[in-house]
Amino acid sequence: MTTAAVEHGHGGDAHGHDEVIYQETRDMRLLGFVLFLCSDVVLFSAFVFAYLYLRGTIDEWPPILNGHQLPRLDLPFAEFNSVVLFGSGVTMHHALENWKHGKKGLFDVFMGATIVLGIMFLCGQAYEYSHAAIGGWSSSIFGASFFTLTGMHGFHVFCGVVYLAILWWQTKKGVYDTGHYFGLTAGTLYWHFVDVIWVGLFFLFYIF
Amino acid sequence: MDLAVIERGTALVGAIVVGVFASIALKADWNAKGLDNDTTKLLLGLMAFGCLMVLAASFGLIGPKG
Amino acid sequence: MAVATPTTTPAIPHAVLDHIHPEPQGFIRKYIFSIDHKIIAYQYFITAGIFFVIAGLLAEMIRIDLLKHTGVLTPNVYNQVYSVHGSMMVWLVIIPFVSGAFGNYVMPLQIGARDVAFPWLNLAAFWMFPPAGLILLASFAFGAPDAGWTEYPPISLQAPYGTSMWCMAIFLIGISSTLTGINFLVTIFKMRAPGMTFTRMPLFVWASAATAGLNMVATTALAAALLALFLERQFGVPFYDPTKGGSPILWQHMFWFYSHPAVYIMILPAFGIISEVLPTFSRKPIFGYKMIAFSSVAIALLGFMVWAHHMFTSGMAPWLQLPFMIITMLIAIPTGIKIFSWMATLWGGSIEFSAACLFAIGFLITFSLGGVTGFFLAAVPADLHEHGTYFVVGHIHYVLYGGSVFGIFAGLYYWWPKMTGRMMNERVGQLHAWITFVAFNCTFLPMHWLGLLGMPRRVAMYDVEYEFWNQVISISSFFLAASTLLIMGNMLWSLKNGKKAGPNPWGARTLEWMISSPPPYYNFKKVPAVLAAPYDFGNPLPYVGLEAEPGAMEATPQHTTGFVPAH
Repeated sequence: MTTAAVEHGHGGDAHGHDEVIYQETRDMRLLGFVLFLCSDVVLFSAFVFAYLYLRGTIDEWPPILNGHQLPRLDLPFAEFNSVVLFGSGVTMHHALENWKHGKKGLFDVFMGATIVLGIMFLCGQAYEYSHAAIGGWSSSIFGASFFTLTGMHGFHVFCGVVYLAILWWQTKKGVYDTGHYFGLTAGTLYWHFVDVIWVGLFFLFYIF
Repeated sequence: MDLAVIERGTALVGAIVVGVFASIALKADWNAKGLDNDTTKLLLGLMAFGCLMVLAASFGLIGPKG
Repeated sequence: MAVATPTTTPAIPHAVLDHIHPEPQGFIRKYIFSIDHKIIAYQYFITAGIFFVIAGLLAEMIRIDLLKHTGVLTPNVYNQVYSVHGSMMVWLVIIPFVSGAFGNYVMPLQIGARDVAFPWLNLAAFWMFPPAGLILLASFAFGAPDAGWTEYPPISLQAPYGTSMWCMAIFLIGISSTLTGINFLVTIFKMRAPGMTFTRMPLFVWASAATAGLNMVATTALAAALLALFLERQFGVPFYDPTKGGSPILWQHMFWFYSHPAVYIMILPAFGIISEVLPTFSRKPIFGYKMIAFSSVAIALLGFMVWAHHMFTSGMAPWLQLPFMIITMLIAIPTGIKIFSWMATLWGGSIEFSAACLFAIGFLITFSLGGVTGFFLAAVPADLHEHGTYFVVGHIHYVLYGGSVFGIFAGLYYWWPKMTGRMMNERVGQLHAWITFVAFNCTFLPMHWLGLLGMPRRVAMYDVEYEFWNQVISISSFFLAASTLLIMGNMLWSLKNGKKAGPNPWGARTLEWMISSPPPYYNFKKVPAVLAAPYDFGNPLPYVGLEAEPGAMEATPQHTTGFVPAH
């Protein structure tokens, strides 16, 4: 893909011109990526609307299934898992900062930590799904909204872990340098986005 | 020990640590310009708010009753 | 008046625009998997054209059934036919035509770009389109969707597998739309020629920007609705089934939150086309450039706030009716501003009644009528009577056919010489316009009357009192369908025998007319700086540093209609 060649930058007299082109295409890619994140927000928002709407149709939450009221979700565990994910956001931020300053060793540490924490979060979600006592995915509107929304989020986290792993591999292959690292910027923004969606979901399902 | 207490305790400590680091990062980047920096600031800020929520929840200040 | 010296600094740096990549080699890379926005546009034109014919044949099946009040098709088949007709026309014909085809071809040329911001994404987005269409058509083998293009639950929950295929098909084309919206927005924001500030952009570009914004934001809401429907149908996850805690009204909210902006996605580019065609064929500046530009944005924004006017009779919370009614009525204001501006553009102009111009003028009449009936539908007390009747069917076809399709025809006649380097036969084009206009009105006008008399929509058989007008409508529709052959034949004829078109047969002023017909793959040898909006007929062209094709900058157009406008 042309990305690799453009990211690397070239020396020589044409360097100034190449650099202008790089910055302009980077600006375009950044705007495109942020717009993509906005459209992804709409996707989650639509399901959040569905959840709130359906919740508004009944008086008691959690809903009553087969004569018994369903329990609430495991808030303490979610607090723990949330901190894992938020922590990964901070490590990702530091990974990018270290890359910008050329500290490749520290970059590796923080990048690795981010991916590990991301995987930990996914394992946490798997645990949450297996021991949630709110009935299955299709049992009630509670299961429907919770598993669909957190499932979509988990899918986004999984894609994010894969994305970060690919970016990390790309750094090993020398695709980026300290002046040209848009892929890493995009990955960081995506990872923060996934984090912030979780802030919303944590509030909507565990607090509210 | 009760699992919930361990989870809560770890979450509390983690939320403080992560929240503090997120706030430091936010403060450091406060004057940075550009779409990527503005987006990062917004998302870091929201994430710090998330840590605050976890903190409040671990103290039982917010969350479902009972 | 002397050409203004370029004292304005370029608004956007143009290093990207200077770079010309090498021409792709090989048939596959040049024509099948091309990243050239012009080739991708041709691909959209051809694919959407094929789907238009298929969906049109489905429409004729509807009209054949309605010739007799006892019906001709079985109701089960009839329901599938109109559902697929509507779904195809919205998602596989009109949106791809106005956005994928015209947007892709014209917009980059008009801003002086060499391509869109993300050409590979453009390619990927196109190649989701034919599979989506094939999946939808294949659904006939599994029990095609049969609850209308709107697929309300609970019927859509109980329908056979084809409805799940519908979900998949529309989801896929939705991804395509969203990606295209992002692509076009970034292109318009970042790749305009130096000096082309927002208020110097052609109006089609303004329309494309507003449409791209709608595409980008609204389509993912539809994706959510479709995903939920699919999950409920396939895995029993309760969202819409009231017996399991869901709500059918939830579907309507989620569906219409996208589908109302969708109608603005379908019409805004057509508005843009009219804004290009009318000044050219009146040889007059467009009246109210800024008002038309800003009204496009206003329509896009307001378009997000009116969705529940499709739900006045649904049983939703009654307090919602008044605010939605009022905001819906407000949209008439920016729309009316456009109509009056277009009329004022024609007024006092040196009008050349080319085929493109005839369709544009026809548009003014038919779209305005559609807007008026829309206002009737916006009024809640009236809508309670009109909802679900043929009044609505009349309204939607006046705005979709009389609006979008007329706009598409106008655009085809207008830009055909640029795309192919050949002129179409103007006489046949003008005949097409007249026959279409008459047949269209004979087909869709009586529907309003039928609706007010109480004939419901989506029925395979109906009360005998409606039969006469249904027969009038059906027979007129056969003429309307047949008239499409005129443009199809004209296009095929022109490719072989049409007069060679120079760069600027119409004497227009936007950038696409300054280069050869068809343009080279790199569009512009040198991207010019832009000093003013392109509608100042009579003043010198506002481009500096343009290596225009010889003959492009002539003040007088080739008189291809054979008429010399009276001066």
